[in-house]
Amino acid sequence: MSTPTTFWRIAGMSYTQYVTRAATAVRNGLKEPAKTKALQHETFSYNAASWEAGKIGPKKQVNKLTNAGISV
Amino acid sequence: MMQRALLRRFTPTLRRSFSTVEETAKAGMTLNFSLPHETIYSGANVNQVIVPGAAGEYGVTADHVPLVAQLKPGVLQILHEGTSDAEKYFVAGGFSITHANSTTDISCPEAVKVDDIDSAAVTSAFEQAKAAFSAAEAGSLAAAEAQIDMEVNKSMAAAVGVSLA
Repeated sequence: MSTPTTFWRIAGMSYTQYVTRAATAVRNGLKEPAKTKALQHETFSYNAASWEAGKIGPKKQVNKLTNAGISV
Repeated sequence: MMQRALLRRFTPTLRRSFSTVEETAKAGMTLNFSLPHETIYSGANVNQVIVPGAAGEYGVTADHVPLVAQLKPGVLQILHEGTSDAEKYFVAGGFSITHANSTTDISCPEAVKVDDIDSAAVTSAFEQAKAAFSAAEAGSLAAAEAQIDMEVNKSMAAAVGVSLA
């Protein structure tokens, strides 16, 4: 990309980060029954598991990659 | 000379008739409107779509020139055939692609019905974001995030008739 022109590019955000932040702002501005339903769209979690000698170990649910020992 | 005069006299309708090809029954344009978690319209035949482009709002009808536009947080209006009231969605962003065959694909990360917007929640979120923006260092990530929140909430408030500054 050439010189960034949008404020979010200049601050170091990618388009995906910008648009997901905007989507979160939209979901938080809703009235109640629609709001809880919409907020479910953005929750996510990961399953972390270690491999040893070709076999997968037990899976652990983590909600942040850093909690699984993966540096982001 | 004689033959040409005869030809003209006996075949006038053939030369001067309009096309007899049937007009295609589908008036209007085709709309595909989808979100990551839901497809709102797939192949729907609508009259007009008013798109909140980042460079400005524009309307798309049948035979519109092909166009790719990034969307800004704003209201997307869909006018169905036979109605004068538009169906309004507030979109958080995304892209709209209009093809040469009168099909428009709109893809957004989130779109909500304008009726579901809570003006009180939006006003307080705007004030919070405004405070965060003044407190943050200019050009920092926190300032950019506060600015996004401000712009989206201001736009949502405008969609329900509340003007914030």
